[in-house]
Amino acid sequence: MAWDPDKDVIEVIRGPQKAGGAGGLYRAFGETLRGLKTTFGQLRMGVDTIQYPEEKIPVYPRFRGRHQLHRFEDSGLEKCVGCSLCAAACPSDCIRVVAAENTPENRVSAGERYAAVYEINLSRCIFCGYCEIACPFDAITMGHEYELSDANRSDLIFTKEMLLAEPLERTPLRAEGE
Amino acid sequence: MPRPVEKLVSLTINGNEVQAPAGMMLADAALKYGDVEIPVFCYDAKIGPPVGACRMCLVEVEGIPKMQAGCSVAVTDGMVVHTDTPTVKAAQQAVLEFILINHPLDCPVCDKGGECPLQDNAFGWGGGLSRFIEPKRHFEKPLALSPLIAIDRERCILCYRCVRFSQEVSEDDQLVLEERGADTFVTTFDGHPYVAPFSGNITEMCPVGALTSRPYRFRARPWDIEQAGSVCTLCPAQCNVSFSVRDERVLRVLARDHEGVDDGWLCDKGRFAYQAIHVDARITEPMMRDGGELRPVTWDLAIETAAKLLSHAGANTGALVGGETTNEEGVLLTHLMRQTLGSNDLDSRPGGALDLELLRALSSPTLQASVPDLQHAHAVLVLDCEPVDDAPILDLRLRKGVRHHGVKLFIASGRPSALDERAAHSARFAPGCGEAFAAALGAELAGQPSAARAAAAGAEADDVVALAAQLREAGEEVVILWGERLTGGPRRNEGARALLNLAAQLELDGRDGGGLLEIPSGTNSRGLREVGVLPNASIGLSDALAVGRDSQQIGEALAAGDLSAVILLHSDPLLDQPSSALWQQALGKASAVIAHAAFLTPAVLEHANVVFPAESYAEKEGTVVHPDSRVQRLRRSISRQGETRAEWALLAELAARIGNDPKALTGSMVSARIFEQVPFYAGLSLDLLGGVGIRWSEREAAASFPSAPAAPFTLDAPPAAASPNGLLRLGSFRSIWASPEVEASPALSFLHPRQRVEISPADAERLGINHGENVTVASNGDSVTGLAQIRASAPDGTVFLQTSIPGESAALLEGPLVEVKRS
Ligand code: SF4
Ligand code: SF4
Ligand code: SF4
Ligand code: SF4
Ligand code: FES
Repeated sequence: MAWDPDKDVIEVIRGPQKAGGAGGLYRAFGETLRGLKTTFGQLRMGVDTIQYPEEKIPVYPRFRGRHQLHRFEDSGLEKCVGCSLCAAACPSDCIRVVAAENTPENRVSAGERYAAVYEINLSRCIFCGYCEIACPFDAITMGHEYELSDANRSDLIFTKEMLLAEPLERTPLRAEGE
Repeated sequence: MPRPVEKLVSLTINGNEVQAPAGMMLADAALKYGDVEIPVFCYDAKIGPPVGACRMCLVEVEGIPKMQAGCSVAVTDGMVVHTDTPTVKAAQQAVLEFILINHPLDCPVCDKGGECPLQDNAFGWGGGLSRFIEPKRHFEKPLALSPLIAIDRERCILCYRCVRFSQEVSEDDQLVLEERGADTFVTTFDGHPYVAPFSGNITEMCPVGALTSRPYRFRARPWDIEQAGSVCTLCPAQCNVSFSVRDERVLRVLARDHEGVDDGWLCDKGRFAYQAIHVDARITEPMMRDGGELRPVTWDLAIETAAKLLSHAGANTGALVGGETTNEEGVLLTHLMRQTLGSNDLDSRPGGALDLELLRALSSPTLQASVPDLQHAHAVLVLDCEPVDDAPILDLRLRKGVRHHGVKLFIASGRPSALDERAAHSARFAPGCGEAFAAALGAELAGQPSAARAAAAGAEADDVVALAAQLREAGEEVVILWGERLTGGPRRNEGARALLNLAAQLELDGRDGGGLLEIPSGTNSRGLREVGVLPNASIGLSDALAVGRDSQQIGEALAAGDLSAVILLHSDPLLDQPSSALWQQALGKASAVIAHAAFLTPAVLEHANVVFPAESYAEKEGTVVHPDSRVQRLRRSISRQGETRAEWALLAELAARIGNDPKALTGSMVSARIFEQVPFYAGLSLDLLGGVGIRWSEREAAASFPSAPAAPFTLDAPPAAASPNGLLRLGSFRSIWASPEVEASPALSFLHPRQRVEISPADAERLGINHGENVTVASNGDSVTGLAQIRASAPDGTVFLQTSIPGESAALLEGPLVEVKRS
């Protein structure tokens, strides 16, 4: 295709060569007032600030927050059998499972094996939820807690006991249609 | 039977022309030459011929109306095979649906999960749906098939692999399938635990999680672990292994399938004794004797003290080197001894030095048989050794040769052998009379009278005649598998000559597929000799500048006060040397005993002044040499436990502190130096060795092996075997389980042997001894107690006791005759 010089010509729009005068005054205040119109126009929308941490954003039911491990409600046994499938699925390799065998004296889970060590390094977790999908026993689910800052990286390695415990405070759920 | 000549046939697999050796099974040929996978469950070439139990491998072969089992059809010329037609797919899906009918699908709790052929096949070839909604069968689970193996009968898919292994590979005949139909399950025929030297292999063979290793139970998933390939150094067989490592701990040992070494099997010692790496009993920090007791000290202090003790003793230092030492450590020890301390008193052979010329003749590359030769030769003569105890994996190789390749097996030993029932002929001689027997056999083969020598060996003259005749008849490819014991006693040089004469009579020199194969007493005995850890040889089996004392003489010199210090490099003379009494005295007299040890074995516990922690074989770097001349590489698989340090570095440091730095900066530098200095290793490098090793005797550089005198030698008449006269002849053997690693491994401790007193039924009756009762064996005021074991095959007039066990070892007794009483 032949080159059409017209297409590439850029027209530079310059301001008036001479400053001051009515035009200068308008340029100084007119445009500012135009912006302020938008600002003041928002006043009637009311205040939308959420007073975190006193107040929390409610989350959707399928929100993927900090994980939780579960127990059977009737027997109190852990659902997790220590199969390591979550660890296999995890793309950031942040789950560590060391399994052990249940004995009649020490029955921890319903299967033959249980997780003697179950740790998630939440400083590496990307909250993708693959672990939840991989788990054949619904033993691990993504919870709703999202307040996961800490002063120390190693405190973000959650152990089995921490993951089994109920979160201290419940994150509010977004109501239907909200 | 010699190796079959391969004839190629061409066939078509899925439209592609493929060349494969005639007689190969279709499933193997398709994978190997056609890059087409035919899924299998029950078939594995290394277990033996196919049985066609699972039907997973169905394929279509043109011209045959029904589908064929790809594992049991041999390839033929012009065959046209389809493995991807709709019919085949439907069949594969149907078979999998059928197999899964009774499979519990408890993958999440199953140890095989993630490395399970059933998962893989179901995923790769299955239909994904099952029409079966009826209840599945149930069994109690899991049961202990043995202390080492758990069995979950629900998961079994009845592929027969384990049963075939037990019946056709290890031939212990213990496993059977009981009941019929859906009730079928695997068990031992008598319901007793499955205890056998090779039992662990079935956990690796089972295509589902029905048989799992108990020590590995629930330890890790395949994605939690890394596989690290190395070599097992627990016996001279040097099987190639792969360590499963998680968090710097060895959790499991798998076979690395090397046709030239182990054929894909491991013994239970090699498979489970890894546990000894991670036990508290292991020495992981340097220790020094303080007020009669060993106490942990800092490395600095230990090295400083050892260096001071050694430089003080100077040339009055001796060194015993155990078989687990690598070539690199061996070379650095010779540097420390010869070049630094000025002492030539070092030895890696127990019992005493062999004439260097004879040693060269025995190690000659032209006379060297390989491990696969055992399976393809016309005949194998097992001479004065017991493969299952001395190098377990060779036992399986011999059984394979007899079963599948028509090898004629002959056994000549003092103690009844586990292989006797597979042998074409077994001959017995009095313990310790291997030399006389070899001489008798050699004479018979040469057409000379042999009766006198046979009598001296305590053997039947007819046995020798029959054995010689059958050996001659069997064919020309003969392998003599001989034990170091033959060249270990006081008449070791005569033993070597008799053996060389025997080889000469059978014309084994330069014979392809035949020759000599030694089972030495230590794992790396061959390598240590070749790098000069001998009193009479220096590196490359060249003449030593000055001949030093051998192990026996070191003991005597220590006892006499001529030597004052001794280094025990992975060696415990109270376990390894023939006479405990001598070494008790020797170590008691020594002013300095410096030990490198992993466990507090008797000599270390009672006598060592300074103890350095020894690396385990999973932590070691270096090279070792297989008895068939294969140089193999040990690779570090885990970090060193505790405060353990590299031993080559420690030996180098000791020499440096005494004032003669060997300038060894890395382990591989020492390896490179060895490859340079040993003429017949020339051109080798760690990279070349790779994961499978190289047999130096097959390379061109082998031509520079030092020449040796040629047989036949004239032999003097051997002394006659002691006649029992109411007493019993003392024979000794080392059990496969007699090792500190087995003792320290929790899973194996049930196997660690107590002393057993093996006697024949006739002798037991004469002495009024019942099976299983405590008996005392005494000679010259020393005595050993053990449990009487009446063995029908034991020769009359002889009692067999174990060596190399702490406490009641046969080494405490002085033969040749002993008295046996009830205690
Ligand atoms: S959410 Fe994703 S990244 Fe986080 S632990 Fe689960 S699988 Fe791993
Ligand atoms: S949480 Fe689920 S997937 Fe993870 S180990 Fe436990 S049972 Fe297995
Ligand atoms: S236990 Fe395993 S190896 Fe043995 S028959 Fe069953 S599936 Fe096959
Ligand atoms: S046969 Fe020897 S080398 Fe092989 S696994 Fe057993 S102990 Fe290790
Ligand atoms: S693999 Fe062919 S029938 Fe089992």
